[in-house]
Amino acid sequence: MGVVANKKNKTITITIDGKEITTEYGKTILQVARENDIYIPTMCYLTKVEPIASCRMCVVEVEGVDGMILSCQEKAVDGAVITTNTKDLERERQNIMKLYDVNHPLECGVCDKSGECDLQNKTLEFNVSQQSFTAKDMHRPVQDWGFISYDPALCIMCEKCVRVCNEIVGSEQLQISVGGYKSIIVNTQPESDCVSCGECMAVCPVGALVSTDFKYTSNAWELNKIPSACAFCSAGCELTYETKHESIENPEEKIYRVTNNFEFSSLCGAGRFGFDFENRNAFKDPAKLETAVEVMKRADIIRMSGLTTNEEALLLQKIANQTGARLECSDAYGFSRFLKVYQAASGRRFWGGSLKDVSESDVVISFATRLKDDAPMVKNHVAMAVKRNKARVIYMHPIEDASIQNLVTRFVKYEPGSEEGVAALLLELLTRESEVPDSLKSYIEELDIGNLSGESSVSEEELDAIKGDFWKRKRFTLIVGEDIFNHPRVENIAKIIVAIEKFSSFNVVIVPPSGNSLGVSLICDLSSGNEGYSVGYNCDADFTLSALGDGDLDMPALNQQEGTITTIEKRVVPLHVALGYDGYILNDIAKALGVGSEYTIDLTQELPKEAGFRGVAFDDLEIGFSVAGEDIRGYTLEESESEGSLELEEPEELPSFDGVVVYCVNPPHNPNPFTQKAKLTKMEAKLVGTQQFATAAKLSEGDTVEFEIDGKKFQRVFTIDTSLKGTIALNPTFDMGLSAFTVSSYRFSKINIKKVGSANE
Amino acid sequence: MSEILFSTWQGEFIDNRNRPKEEWAQTSFKLPLEYDTNKPSRAFIGWDGVAIFDENIDAVKLATEYAAQYQEYSEACGRCAPGRWGGRILFDLLDKIARGEGSFEDIEHLKEVSETMMQTSKCEIGRTVPKPILDLMENFKEQFDKCILEQTKSHEYDSDTKYIAKITAPCIDMCPSHVDIPAYIEGVRDMEFTDSLAATRQTMPLAHTCGRVCPHPCEDACRRANLDEPISIMELKRLGADYETDHHMEWFHPQEPKPPRNDGKKVAIVGAGPAGLTAAYYLGLEGIQVDIFEELPVLGGEVAVGVPQYRMPIEKYNKDIELVTSLPTVNVYTNHRVDAERLKEIDAEYDATLLAFGTRLSKKVRAKNEREEIEGYWGAISMLDKVNLWHKYRIGSPASEDLKDKTVVCVGGGFTSMDVVRCSIREGAKKVIMLYRRDEKTIIRNTTYEEYHEAVEEGVEFIFHSAVEEIVDENDKLKKLIVNRFELVPDPDGGRPQLVKIEGADFEIECDFLIPAVSQSADLSILPEEWNIELTSWNTILTNGKDYMSSRPGLFAAGDCEYGPMTIVNAVGQAKRAASVISRYIYDGKVSLTDDEIMEDHLKRLKVYNKNEKISGWMPGIPREVSEKLGVDERKDNNLEVNLGFTGEQAIAEAERCMRCYYIAMVAV
Repeated sequence: MGVVANKKNKTITITIDGKEITTEYGKTILQVARENDIYIPTMCYLTKVEPIASCRMCVVEVEGVDGMILSCQEKAVDGAVITTNTKDLERERQNIMKLYDVNHPLECGVCDKSGECDLQNKTLEFNVSQQSFTAKDMHRPVQDWGFISYDPALCIMCEKCVRVCNEIVGSEQLQISVGGYKSIIVNTQPESDCVSCGECMAVCPVGALVSTDFKYTSNAWELNKIPSACAFCSAGCELTYETKHESIENPEEKIYRVTNNFEFSSLCGAGRFGFDFENRNAFKDPAKLETAVEVMKRADIIRMSGLTTNEEALLLQKIANQTGARLECSDAYGFSRFLKVYQAASGRRFWGGSLKDVSESDVVISFATRLKDDAPMVKNHVAMAVKRNKARVIYMHPIEDASIQNLVTRFVKYEPGSEEGVAALLLELLTRESEVPDSLKSYIEELDIGNLSGESSVSEEELDAIKGDFWKRKRFTLIVGEDIFNHPRVENIAKIIVAIEKFSSFNVVIVPPSGNSLGVSLICDLSSGNEGYSVGYNCDADFTLSALGDGDLDMPALNQQEGTITTIEKRVVPLHVALGYDGYILNDIAKALGVGSEYTIDLTQELPKEAGFRGVAFDDLEIGFSVAGEDIRGYTLEESESEGSLELEEPEELPSFDGVVVYCVNPPHNPNPFTQKAKLTKMEAKLVGTQQFATAAKLSEGDTVEFEIDGKKFQRVFTIDTSLKGTIALNPTFDMGLSAFTVSSYRFSKINIKKVGSANE
Repeated sequence: MSEILFSTWQGEFIDNRNRPKEEWAQTSFKLPLEYDTNKPSRAFIGWDGVAIFDENIDAVKLATEYAAQYQEYSEACGRCAPGRWGGRILFDLLDKIARGEGSFEDIEHLKEVSETMMQTSKCEIGRTVPKPILDLMENFKEQFDKCILEQTKSHEYDSDTKYIAKITAPCIDMCPSHVDIPAYIEGVRDMEFTDSLAATRQTMPLAHTCGRVCPHPCEDACRRANLDEPISIMELKRLGADYETDHHMEWFHPQEPKPPRNDGKKVAIVGAGPAGLTAAYYLGLEGIQVDIFEELPVLGGEVAVGVPQYRMPIEKYNKDIELVTSLPTVNVYTNHRVDAERLKEIDAEYDATLLAFGTRLSKKVRAKNEREEIEGYWGAISMLDKVNLWHKYRIGSPASEDLKDKTVVCVGGGFTSMDVVRCSIREGAKKVIMLYRRDEKTIIRNTTYEEYHEAVEEGVEFIFHSAVEEIVDENDKLKKLIVNRFELVPDPDGGRPQLVKIEGADFEIECDFLIPAVSQSADLSILPEEWNIELTSWNTILTNGKDYMSSRPGLFAAGDCEYGPMTIVNAVGQAKRAASVISRYIYDGKVSLTDDEIMEDHLKRLKVYNKNEKISGWMPGIPREVSEKLGVDERKDNNLEVNLGFTGEQAIAEAERCMRCYYIAMVAV
């Protein structure tokens, strides 16, 4: 016992309320108490961040120590004897609640938070029946922050919002303006710079930060809560749809808002605000179904999007098996090629890195992705690594993203198309000190570094500087993103990534593109470039089954169906039905073809075990989080280990991208046609470039342009963004309807741009 | 001059009311009886009590104003529930009583809210503000009662008494630059690194530098030491600066730099070391035109050419320097030696001149035959110049050409001598010996434990209780040293032990180099004789240590040339103050201090840190974090930075140990 034990991870013994507990040094008193089911009240504590320590409710008494001790921040030390509840503590806690209640507007009747408000709850818990304190009040006007509105009069300055914006999202958008009683939260940057994730609002314990859209529309307790998952990207975040009838006149259910388990996890703007994408007016017309079945029978190709549940993917595979059609999925095909080669070369089913590895890293390399837009949750974990671990973040991409300058320590720009070469350069760099097999050694030695460096324009000095960034660092993660999957050399890149994962000290995290591309890749036998008559499932085709409601037959949207998706964490998580749906579903067609099941979710346990699925029935899938904050939804896919076969090819030289180049990318809160359908997240699609781009493409602000990518025509207003860098413009696809899911080319495209109108006309 | 009528300061209870003058008790504290020259103070109120010097003081108003200041000094509050609401309630209730609308119930509520604040506030400011207020309520009860019973305003409610307040903390007070340490630590704790940096730069532009090579006197005044171990204050300063540098952010200034004034006023600074840079920074932030004249080809002064790369990487120091030179009104002229003639020109041309040329003459060791002509006799300053100019700027030639495989003896005991011996090791010397008159304990106290320990690890041989008696040469080439040994003889009267030479214990050291690093002095040849500039007994430029003006109007001095060889943080603190005085002097020709500066000096005199105070409300036994250092084999033959600094996790854990010991002091004048 004693101070000697107070070293990280040393076993210590403490006593809380008479209960002797053995734990490790490094945890706070509050953490140990919670792990042991001992209640200590808090107002500002948020499990997923470092202690904030503003509310002072969590004070405890420690034997032999003068005064009251802040349990959320103070570490448990060996031998401490702690009491969590005494008369004195009770009195101070009650007084703190009285202080919080001073001048708090008594408008619970109309406050959105009422019924789920920490201030209400604790005021009752501490039996504040009368107020002995008063203070002169001041006018604090409500502020409109776009998706969110801030009412400083309701704000208790717990600082949770500021903390998550900084520590979790990495935006540093919110700040505390300190000033005693005048203190207030300020939004320091223009709305346009906010990633609109709503994280600040989610963690607000009172009604200070509320959704502008939701405000005054419902009492919290009237809403039905449907736990589900967000399928918009491979993060598959936990969320809850909250629904109620539309109005007294209209009994139809609608989603009023999305909430989440903010104590342990987060959501991005797409998940939180892009929720009302349901297919509303579908109905059953047997003739239409019959037509659909008929075309399905004779279809040569079945096209799907990556936003397809595992069960539907299996249904489509079964239909294809039955009819002999070929399955295509533009947003998962490249990834599936990657995965196949990855599996063969590594002998493993999946990459080893997790998001937790990212947040615990002190060096992160982000490669081949516009991280903030492609994968907001992965970006959040990078932000945590930066804030908590002073991580060095090397951002390798042809376009610098200046909006995350505060997270990135080194931008490394490479030429579009040179990803294979860059991957090879990384392999050489990251394995410099590793023991590698002779064959790999000779492969690396034979790489023409000078040439690769020249081709990619990643200089050898830059590589050495990156190497310098690793000095004395201990936990390394390589994030590999979406740009490589539709790269013509994806298969060799996959092998190079395998070699890096196997022989360097880097954990590798692969970011599957689009919602369930991992699931689709594991379940379906995909191909591409097939010719013939096509049926599309949420993907443009000769005959289109559409959850957007604009196709030849309606299908349910992802908030209208049960099923599972497979996430970046290699986890199978369930979706539940938030809203009713009156039309046909894919299973109806499958049934007509003789391959359906009674219910779609009967297929959950049929998902292929050889791909790693565990054969668990849908109704047996867990939802939510454990008390300790672990994601316990569904299950994790089974890993398998075998001898891989790694045969690397020499990087190929590619034609360079000269001329006018655009990059297909969507903003984080509007990633696809479904969020474009949602009323909060939809926006005008513009081609965004720098002045440099404008000059090169002979364009001016406000010009209307036309160009073609992958045979798809885009018409866009062009706008200049001064925060952007370089000569490549950003081209969104969210407004392209289901044809967005047919783009199968590499994300950078050389285009012929045609000006068809200008701002002055 | 006033006298103490009443005091509860730091537990000393004095009540001279109703006592004949000759029986008045005296205080043992240096309370600010006189606020400014010929301006007596009426009362002093602060974190540890209240002292009244004027019998007519309005205690109710004094308490109210103190509570108001707590609201005012918001940078330290509003971030916890008891402080945010409690502070407001405290003020509202006191003001209600003072304006004659209070009740005895209010007194009870005041006590209740005080108790909650004292028990649960986040920082000491919230915990200590109620104390003197309660003291006043208890000891000047009749004044409070009168206001309540008669429902009248307190007697000075509308008077023009000035209440001047200042926020401080033990560490802030001890820091010669008065850096807002709790704020920059809070920035680390909150992972708001830009806030952290902005807090540091309010008074300290050299955040990278003083996050690395500061001897951190603040840590000797850290209240956390009363509980377990002091906070690792210095190293936490690196976090903010590293964040700005690592992420290539734009400069974070403590305030938006003001646009150039272009009013014809300009200030000259002689020397681009820490003092010169600091003064330039704060004048530049104000938009005042500044020209810095530097003799060396490089900027940075001794920190650039004296402090070795392995302790203070130049690429980091250059960031601190760029911060200063990035300001539009700051110009620098390198290779510009200022001599007496040039100084006269500058003095005539500029509205004020700040001398900040440091102490760059190596003092002698006072041995027989000590002659600069002897080959192998090499002053520490010149030796370190050579080492650093080569390694950091590739100017000159490597010192290893001289030192490789040689035997080097250094006489010293301070930081400079440590730099000499450790650089000698890195330059490949065969044998490196440090001779020191006193003992191991003293050398550690003069430098740091790490510095000494690391030098020993790297192979430096320390010979304590020794001094060179004679230098032996052969045709002006150093041959050997004759060294005396001393012993420490305790003083029978309990005084400081005396060093007494041990007869017959002399020994000889054969060596190639003798590097005296005993101390440095200022090169005063720059001062025109006819100016008759007053000097200190140390032969440095005399000022009053408050406004840093020399005996010649318009000629200021800061840093080592004023104080004698001292620390970077001392130079920064002096220069910051000098810049403030200069910023007013160039307009009104007067030497003045702001209230904040006057209070700063009062508090320094009073002493903020109380090492005997018992700490409550914090968990003892949480060990101080220790950053990783390069292993001896990883570092001794190169110039890699030895101290790797905290990991993020360590930094947050260490920042969480900080008790935020903010205090408010206030004087009624």
